[in-house]
Amino acid sequence: MVAAMTSRQRVLAALRREPVDRTPACNPTSVATVELMDLAGAPFPDANRQPELMARLAATGHTELGFDTIMPVFSIIQESSALGCKIQWEQKDNWPTVKMREPIWEKHEDIRIPDDFLKHPDTQCVLQAIKILRKEFGDEVAIIGKTMGPWSLGYHCFGVEPFLLLSLDDPGKTKLCLDKLKEATIQFGLAQIEAGADALTLPDHATGDLVSGEYYARYLRDLHIEFAERLPAPLILHICGRTVDRMEYIAQTGMAAFHYDSKNQPAESMGIVKNRISLVGNINNPETLYSKGPEEVRLEVYKNLDAGVQLVGPECAIPLQTRIDNLKEIPKAIKDWYQEHTTQN
Amino acid sequence: MAELNDITNEFIRQEIAEFIERPNERERIINLFARARAKMQAIAAALIDGDNDLVNQLTKESLDEGIEALEVMDDGLIAGMGIVGIKFRQNLIFVPEVLACARAMKAGMAHIEPILSAAGIKPIGKVVMGTVKGDLHDIGKNLCIMMLRGSGFEVIDLGVDTSADKFMQAVEENQVHLMGMSALLTTTMPNMGKTIEAFIDADLRDQVKIMVGGAPVTQEFADEMGADGYGKDAMACVALAKRLMGVESR
Repeated sequence: MVAAMTSRQRVLAALRREPVDRTPACNPTSVATVELMDLAGAPFPDANRQPELMARLAATGHTELGFDTIMPVFSIIQESSALGCKIQWEQKDNWPTVKMREPIWEKHEDIRIPDDFLKHPDTQCVLQAIKILRKEFGDEVAIIGKTMGPWSLGYHCFGVEPFLLLSLDDPGKTKLCLDKLKEATIQFGLAQIEAGADALTLPDHATGDLVSGEYYARYLRDLHIEFAERLPAPLILHICGRTVDRMEYIAQTGMAAFHYDSKNQPAESMGIVKNRISLVGNINNPETLYSKGPEEVRLEVYKNLDAGVQLVGPECAIPLQTRIDNLKEIPKAIKDWYQEHTTQN
Repeated sequence: MAELNDITNEFIRQEIAEFIERPNERERIINLFARARAKMQAIAAALIDGDNDLVNQLTKESLDEGIEALEVMDDGLIAGMGIVGIKFRQNLIFVPEVLACARAMKAGMAHIEPILSAAGIKPIGKVVMGTVKGDLHDIGKNLCIMMLRGSGFEVIDLGVDTSADKFMQAVEENQVHLMGMSALLTTTMPNMGKTIEAFIDADLRDQVKIMVGGAPVTQEFADEMGADGYGKDAMACVALAKRLMGVESR
């Protein structure tokens, strides 16, 4: 029996695969919704650009939904904006997106991380929001930052199609691109840790819907090992889609956790990673959290807990119109599962 | 019924032997290539290999030799793309490889489309295609469009970040009875349902069949939104479009 833990202690222990009083409810990606924006008075797009609003909206993940984590980086565009990509900031009901049809670079020689990369308003916004949250929540809650991996930055800066074609046409130049882009990942990651982040989500969208597991091994495994060595905080790798064909490689990276998608079964995934990396996930977004009710959410939470998944939460950033009752059900179901299992034992 | 050895091109024979497992597909593909000229088989092989320069060269040569544009398209380019689609469906190849094949197909189609257009060949149907509001991803949509065009459809491409109003306007202005929506993000998938609702609210739903697709979209989600069909990939999109329009292959 483990003594009662704070949310922060619980999350950090689960990321180390150490005993916990109960499995943490964790959101390595956004749980912002329109309902929460109204509640906090912090709507998109301003909540992606103003630190106070970003912090206020992020805090609702803990104060309103009951998650053990707070994640202020709702989108995947902050550092791409600082690198010079054009951004469509959208409105309250939609996500900001990089205009990937207007790439900023064509070849690896074009890549340049600006000297003021960390001073740009959109990277600064994240750093300031983390500081605000750290001050407000102290050591109670785990604050998770986010730094995009070089593969995802490649999509943003070169365009998805040109970047994927380059990866096939010229692996050598692709590796040069990744090697240059990784410095943005490192710089932004280090700055967030310094600002007070307890852990970092590292999305690198080598997804099963786009590239093979062999591609992951060829282009990203070594880079991800390097990130785990150079960034002094637990890293949560996020890759969407079916990923069982690359989980073996992912488990070798030394990262703390892998945020996995509902296209992968919990027990099957746990069997592959074999306690070398924690799993976070994998409640389905479109069919369950967005479309169904708390009962269906509960079933998926239980399935993860039954499989021994270390941290439970949505599979990815949730649709903005998701009902908060469904999100609240995640921590509630975790507590109920523990109560049932304690009673049974 | 043709045999594998009736196909003269060794690369195509190997592709079929190694990758085409379903008996009905195997039989259809063997029959198709066995009756195709060696040059068409070579075009298909170059396309499967993602060699756009060779496809460009062989297509031009074939047309110069007097081979019909439709034959080059059907027996060379589309036949090759058929094998690519099966390999993609079976996770034997992924999007980069498909993009390279699509680039090769585009190189061939650049010679063929002007000829078909000048000959006044009527499309088998007209489709409006777009990525939904808030989503700027278009690889999947573009692959579908390429395969639809290659299969004889006229496609009106609305691009990315397409609002419900823009879909409705395109359907009305172009008198189109088939529409496709794509989304890559779980965060933008709900906009498919909103677009369908907008068609219902505007009393336009009965005028158009709506198909949906994209990496996170499933048949269940498509059904819940009230779509008329779901296509898992570009090949499935073409088959669905033909079914919804009630047409057979050219």
